[in-house]
Amino acid sequence: MADITLSTQAPDALSQSFSPDDETALRESLRRCSPATVEAAIAYRKGGDTKALAVIIIGIFERFVEPDLRARLAGDCDDLRVIEDLGIDSLTMMEIVMLVEEVTKTKIENDELRGLVTIGDIKTFVDCRARGVQPPAPAKSILGDELRALMPIQAPFLFLDEARVGPAQCTASYRITGQEFFLAGHFKNNPVMPASIMLEALGQLGVLHLLAGLPVEAGKVVGASTIFFASTDGVRCSRVCKPGDVLTLTIKSKRVKEPLAVYSGSIRVGQEKAVIAEEITLTFGVVDAPVAPVGVLPVAAS
Amino acid sequence: MPRVFITGLGFITSIGNTCADVEQSLRELRHGMVKNPAFAADNIPVKVTAPVRDFKTDAEDAEDWTIPAPYNLKREQLRSLSPNALYAFCALQQAIADAKLAPEDVSNDDTGLYAASAGSPGIMSRMITRMNQLGVMRCPPLGVVASIAGTVQFNLVAHFKIKGASTGFTSACAASAHAMGFAFDEIALGRQKRMFVVGAEDGNTETILPFASMRALSLNPDPDTASRPFDKKHDGFVGTGGATVLVLESEDEVRRRGATAYAEVLGWGQASDGHNVAISHPEGAGLATAMRNAFKATGVTPADIDYINAHATSTPIGDASECKALRAVLGEHAARIAVSSTKALTGHGLSLAGAMEAGFCALALKRGFIPGSAHISELDPACEGLNIPRTTEPVQARAALNNSSGFGGANVCVVFKAVS
Repeated sequence: MADITLSTQAPDALSQSFSPDDETALRESLRRCSPATVEAAIAYRKGGDTKALAVIIIGIFERFVEPDLRARLAGDCDDLRVIEDLGIDSLTMMEIVMLVEEVTKTKIENDELRGLVTIGDIKTFVDCRARGVQPPAPAKSILGDELRALMPIQAPFLFLDEARVGPAQCTASYRITGQEFFLAGHFKNNPVMPASIMLEALGQLGVLHLLAGLPVEAGKVVGASTIFFASTDGVRCSRVCKPGDVLTLTIKSKRVKEPLAVYSGSIRVGQEKAVIAEEITLTFGVVDAPVAPVGVLPVAAS
Repeated sequence: MPRVFITGLGFITSIGNTCADVEQSLRELRHGMVKNPAFAADNIPVKVTAPVRDFKTDAEDAEDWTIPAPYNLKREQLRSLSPNALYAFCALQQAIADAKLAPEDVSNDDTGLYAASAGSPGIMSRMITRMNQLGVMRCPPLGVVASIAGTVQFNLVAHFKIKGASTGFTSACAASAHAMGFAFDEIALGRQKRMFVVGAEDGNTETILPFASMRALSLNPDPDTASRPFDKKHDGFVGTGGATVLVLESEDEVRRRGATAYAEVLGWGQASDGHNVAISHPEGAGLATAMRNAFKATGVTPADIDYINAHATSTPIGDASECKALRAVLGEHAARIAVSSTKALTGHGLSLAGAMEAGFCALALKRGFIPGSAHISELDPACEGLNIPRTTEPVQARAALNNSSGFGGANVCVVFKAVS
């Protein structure tokens, strides 16, 4: 049998020549996507403009999500989790990845895919691949004993159940149990999570980012006892949160330079916005890493 | 031993997509054949097929398929469906409604599903082509489950949350008769209380035309006469697809639910020719043994039988060998018992045939008619001594047989009894 030549291209190699046949194939592959997606894909394949990638990825997600969820992809959707928020199962994800790979001529391996949780993760990953730079390490999950060992804040004042911590963004969840001590008085016969505590929870997620997500120079760490709240700005609360609600917290780092770390933060319950904080600022200090961490619980910030 | 009843039917066929339409077609002998536009090329000698009504599943992308109301499937469901699994999906919905089954009747440990399908050669070939042209990682992720021979039960069991026994049968044109027989056993042995029996086929270019080089297909270009089992000029079968679902339930379940049965399934028999991979035994030896085994298993004799739905596909060799088997087994009753092939109306549904024709028997026993054998202008002399009615008669049969024969010489005979 003669050699079979596969037309797949090497990973990361965007073809310089984009033939009319390629365009026809691309249009066919994207025929259920919006015209803007198709045009962005053609522009990307012709000129290599990586700005088009975000449009392509959103357009491909739009095609696969249930119609009633499509609106969520309009506007800032980087925080949306593919499985939890967009209802996409792992098989649909394979279809999406295949189309993204085909259209952008990139390659996402299975183990890389497992680290991509949000739309933002995927956009960043594909963008890095297209530009030939190393994608950031995927966000890592921190929960339970590990979370408690890392945090200088402890029960009954710790408001993070589990978190995903990345270099520039963290998400976490907290279920309001109804057993929180302050709910007995806030309010009388009407337990409502205090807005100040919700801001506190966002701040705690910032603390976790500094301790476990922020890249710092070798031999140094952020000192757990050096972190304090500094300021917050642009806070809006739009939903009353009560026992049984699961808060989904997100912070994104805007600027981090010792001694200040500035984040934007938001809290949702399901898809409903609860709290927005345009800026939350923490102070922190960098200290020498312990030389021989004897008897210390292993931390994820390795 | 628990008695077994048919309490629900679902049809997606060339002669109708509801029980009412199918009954009308059987009573009025309205066939489902058309000249297939896809067979127009001069180098395709076959011209006629019996397409599934109102569905269009030719497009490579399932989202482009035409699916008639009331059926409505989401993309997540469609992506793992072959055309035949889609037909089966719709037929099962229909059968569940027909049997008036509540969701908890469908999904429980005592309800299973046996299916028969040859898989989807069309989807398989497109997937392999894509793999060779674009690379292994560009195959549709669900291409395997949409194309291999288990596709019907994979999809239906998952979607309808079936929790009892499930598997598939692959004895080609006897396959859904085997599914029927073994489903009967599940209930008769007390292992299950309810079984869905599913037969399904794509019935498209990829499933039908490969039979052309075997010289098994009719080359008659006239849709009105291309399928004519037992006629002197029969020259091969006409291909069809679709799906049929039968709901089998134990007597206890029928009572508990207050269900109305179409017919009772008394039992079945099977036997193999041990002769040729594709050609039926010239004397119909395996089919005769299957019928005798069915009589033995059920205690019924030819004297109890009023109707036989023959396998007869309209091929000269197959029809003749079945006639010999019928004469050998029926003896003095051969001249009395009405024998017809409803494939004159539907075409030959391959893996679908056994379930579809079992469904016709159930409908006939319930509604009091005996389907005629259409399109016979001059009876093949090979049929001598048999009673082959050419029109449907409004006669209540007491009991009926359904014969099916598949590749490898597999033969199945199922016995049905009218519910008084």
